[in-house]
Amino acid sequence: MVDAQKDAPFKSAQVESLVVMKIVKHCSSAFPTTATGSLVGMDTDGVLEITNAFPFPTLDVSAADGHQADASSLAAAAPRAKANIAYQNEMIRHLKEVNVDANNVGWYTSATMGNFINLSFIENQYHYQRENDKTVALVHDVSRSSQGALSLRAFRLSPEFMAAYKEAKFTTESLQKSKLSFHDILIEVPVIVHNSHLLTSFLHQIPAPPESSEIPLPASLDDIRREPAPLPAYPFFDTLDVSIDPFLEKTCDLLLESIEAHYSDLNNHQYYQRQLAREQFKISQWQAKRKAENAARLAAKQEPLPEDEWQRLFKLPQEPSRLEGMLNARQVEQYSKQVDSFTATVTSKLFAVRGNLLPE
Amino acid sequence: MSSRFFRGGGDSSTESSSDEEELYTTEEEEEEEEQEEQESSELEDDDDEEESSSDDEAGPKKGAGRFLVDVASDSDDSEAELVTKVKSAKDKRFDELEAIITAIQNSQKINDWGTIANEFDKLSRQAVKLQDGSKAPKSYIKCIAELEDYMNETLAKQKVTPKKMNATNARGLNAVKQKIKKTTKEYQAQVDAFRKDGDAFMESSDEDDELPLPKSTKLKLQDAVIPEAAEDEEKGFSIVDKRGKAIPFSPESIQKHLRAIIESRGRKGTDRNEQIKIMEELNRVAETPYLKIRVLQTLISARFDLGSGGSVMPLEQWKAAEKELGALLTLLEANKDHIVIETAEEWEDDDKVPVLGPGDKYITVPGSVVSYIERLDDELTRSLQNIDPHTPEYIERLTDETSLYNTILRGLLYYETIQKDSSLDVPQESLNRIVQRRLDHIYFKPAQVVKILEENSWKQVPDEVDSAIAPRGLLGDAGKLIHSLCNYLFNKSEGIIRARAMLCQIYFLALHDEYYKARDMMLMSHLQENIPNFDVATQILYNRTLVQVGLCAFRKGLVYDAQNTLQDICGSGRQKELLAQGVMMQRFSQVSPEQERLEKQRQLPFHMHINLELLECVYLTCSMLLEIPLLAQIGSSPDIKKRVISKTYRRMLEYHERQIFTGPPENTRDHVMQASKALAAGEWKKAIHFIHNIKIWDLMPSTEDIKAMLAKQIQEEGLRTYLFTYAPFYDTLAIETLSTMFELEPAKVSAVVSKMISHEELAAALDQVTETVIFRKGVELSRLQSLALALSDKASALIETNERTLEVRTQGSANAFSRKDGRQGGQRTGGQRTGRGGARTGGTGQRQAGGTQFTGGALGAAVRG
Repeated sequence: MVDAQKDAPFKSAQVESLVVMKIVKHCSSAFPTTATGSLVGMDTDGVLEITNAFPFPTLDVSAADGHQADASSLAAAAPRAKANIAYQNEMIRHLKEVNVDANNVGWYTSATMGNFINLSFIENQYHYQRENDKTVALVHDVSRSSQGALSLRAFRLSPEFMAAYKEAKFTTESLQKSKLSFHDILIEVPVIVHNSHLLTSFLHQIPAPPESSEIPLPASLDDIRREPAPLPAYPFFDTLDVSIDPFLEKTCDLLLESIEAHYSDLNNHQYYQRQLAREQFKISQWQAKRKAENAARLAAKQEPLPEDEWQRLFKLPQEPSRLEGMLNARQVEQYSKQVDSFTATVTSKLFAVRGNLLPE
Repeated sequence: MSSRFFRGGGDSSTESSSDEEELYTTEEEEEEEEQEEQESSELEDDDDEEESSSDDEAGPKKGAGRFLVDVASDSDDSEAELVTKVKSAKDKRFDELEAIITAIQNSQKINDWGTIANEFDKLSRQAVKLQDGSKAPKSYIKCIAELEDYMNETLAKQKVTPKKMNATNARGLNAVKQKIKKTTKEYQAQVDAFRKDGDAFMESSDEDDELPLPKSTKLKLQDAVIPEAAEDEEKGFSIVDKRGKAIPFSPESIQKHLRAIIESRGRKGTDRNEQIKIMEELNRVAETPYLKIRVLQTLISARFDLGSGGSVMPLEQWKAAEKELGALLTLLEANKDHIVIETAEEWEDDDKVPVLGPGDKYITVPGSVVSYIERLDDELTRSLQNIDPHTPEYIERLTDETSLYNTILRGLLYYETIQKDSSLDVPQESLNRIVQRRLDHIYFKPAQVVKILEENSWKQVPDEVDSAIAPRGLLGDAGKLIHSLCNYLFNKSEGIIRARAMLCQIYFLALHDEYYKARDMMLMSHLQENIPNFDVATQILYNRTLVQVGLCAFRKGLVYDAQNTLQDICGSGRQKELLAQGVMMQRFSQVSPEQERLEKQRQLPFHMHINLELLECVYLTCSMLLEIPLLAQIGSSPDIKKRVISKTYRRMLEYHERQIFTGPPENTRDHVMQASKALAAGEWKKAIHFIHNIKIWDLMPSTEDIKAMLAKQIQEEGLRTYLFTYAPFYDTLAIETLSTMFELEPAKVSAVVSKMISHEELAAALDQVTETVIFRKGVELSRLQSLALALSDKASALIETNERTLEVRTQGSANAFSRKDGRQGGQRTGGQRTGRGGARTGGTGQRQAGGTQFTGGALGAAVRG
């Protein structure tokens, strides 16, 4: 990650809290449909400041009919839809008029349990990054955020991948040559949530209600000295939730889905390989035949026939793109990391529970 | 008449035209008749003529003499009978002939070789029609002779003059040149006669006409010819039969005829029918057994030749061949000192007949009776393939199988007798082949039919003959007969024949409801492993046997075994093709006509077919009995959706369920599908009703038993389905209730329930005191657990695939598995890898078991704990 950042034109993304709130609001209101929107801001000193965001308009034709999948895919494809590009430009023009930073710096999308790595995502980001290298994709994971901590991540495509995608060449050969693996598709950029000074001071001034109506008197001097850490304004117990099943179930489902996709990809590729082998066998047969023929002709003092005609006669099957497989692998990696981080926190919670429940 | 004339070869010039004279002068008709015959005989003798023509060059006169010699006999014969005649036709032809000749002469004058060539063609055709005996019309001869002279002249001229002829002329000249050469050769004698003295030839009088009468004493056929033949021999010529019917057949010349026929075999333009006729004649004349054997052998082969080349052997030819083969066997049985054997040496000397030497025990004749029998059998199969099986013709043809079987039996006996003499060194293989043929004819028939067939066949065999392989005593017991035949083949043969014998026996056993024996033999034979290495016919037999074993299991009520056995054949959807009972229509076929023809050849004749509809019905019913409870079981736990017993059945069921309106069942499939639906809904009575309504059960022996068996099975499976479906809703369930619900005895119900409990299909316990089933709750896997199991299965499958791919890529070299991690790489040698692989699969199996059953696996234990 550190290496990757070196080539990156910016080292981190600084997101205004306003933007965060907007994204969270938009994504959770659209949940479970995918929600997408545009980001505006500016790039200064290796930090990409994201100062504002606005959602793309959703076409609610299909949503009303209950065709959720269609709505989802439409929304997912929104950033590169022609109508939306026009909308975005219009919007930026308006923003300029009110003196807001008016540079497009990327887009955001919602996700469920990290299932955002797919062709659509890649295409969107490619669409942005092709025009302007200093763009980023913010991914807000609604499901994970609902479990406690906010999950907002920023990604961009690696330059190698950009190059490969430009040529649309994802054959085994080219992948071997460029040493491009699924690790190198996306570069994650650290996200810093930034509050304006005004906001910070406002937050500090919010009057906190007393923790309880009566403050117990300190029993001793020690108590005062210890100064118990002040609790947050409202205690948030969700973080203590130890329910594992829903999360893991969902992840399992998604993993199974990915594996299914992988299998179908595998089958495609095997089919291709069989086809290729068959074709090559035919060609070699043809070549052998032609060689024998030529030998005979040579013996009969005749002009030999050309031996490279097979290129005309036979057509090798097109190798299926490996991109799908790569994305799949990346997706699986994402899921596994997710499970990893999840279990890390949950295990400690479970130990805590055990420590409390078991008799001393 | 001509014989007399030609014997006096020297003065032929004056008399040579005798035959032509008759055309003009005599009113007798037979000439015309003769001409027709000669035309035909001329045609077929063309070959011989050309062969001998090289000899003829040396002595043209003699050549002609040779060929006219035999006329004697037939004209003598024909002279006797008188028919009315129409003269004008002949005259007309002569007029035409003359006209053509004039045209040729005219063209000669203007040097127009194109026209000459055309006219000459016409002339030759005309002349053939007018030909009398071997003598062409005189004017024709004259014309030929003149034309030849002129042609030579032209050729000579052409060489001198630099001027070239135009293309048409040159072509015409060449054509004429070749034709003339041929024609003059044919009529050499006459042409020579004409050359010698043109006028005399043309005017040669009719004096012959009177002469034939006194001379036409009926010479005895052979008398006339034998000296003739001898004479020819001395002169260095061989006899060539020229004269249609009256070929001089004599025992001595038989060998030569045979040789000529054998040599002409397979050549183009050979008239096989004619040869067969000749040989039939020869057969009549042949006296010694040796000659008879030889003639019969050639005759049979010739008849088979008629059937070769794609066409089916004509029925009468087959019958004749069968009869002759019978005759051959009779002959061999009667003459024990004559032996037909494959290893015998060819007798080269055509003039002598081999005789029994002092040291020899046998006269051996090269040949293979078993091949004849096999060919005869194949031909019958082919003809049966070509007859519409629903016509009486087919049945009629099928009756020939009896006689064929009889022949096979006799052939077998013959081989057994000659094998007894070890000095003959009879190849074991022939005997094996013939035993196999016999087996092929009986293995698919019910015991009663085999018995009748055997009885009839043995009746044809003399009483004192008996077979060591399958003695006459076995006549009543088809099972023992098959057993002894197969045992013989197991001991004596190997490879395909042994496999076929094994399959035949299994088939027979399965047909006669000996399921366990058949199954054990099938398993012991290990054929399922190497059957792909055998030829297609054997593979088909294997498939047939498999199906038969499956049907047998079904009759025995072993639904699971039946379904398992039939799965391979019926699940493929290519039953027709696999059983060789019809050609599949392939939509995306790249089948070449050649393959298609082969495929057609492989088809079994109709009477050997296994009823496909019955097969499908059995398969579907079995699938239903297994699948419906499984579907019910799956319904309660979603994670084992993948388990499918019969894809075909599932597909049909899905299709059936998709239908908006289902009418009353029409065909077998509909019946089974509706029964399945009823069974799934617990309406077992309805299901039984549907299944019993299927008409095709009537084709099974003991229909009622089968129906009763099916009813019982449906009751049990209905009970199982019910338990699977409704177990979650019960805490306890009295066995009594179940018993009345499914009209089963309480003992039976508790047996079924216990079985389900012990197989961990049902989370319950049986309380024997209160006679109730007590269901346990909350023992099912949680969703997460089942998902995790599924995931781990998937993952391990993936790893397996990857490793396999790697193995293929690296050709299984051990180094391929050394990973970057050196520590691991060092440990992973090939042997260990396989060991680990095995362990892994074992683990997977266990996990799968855990997945399908609720208490298996570590997780299950954790849950219970």
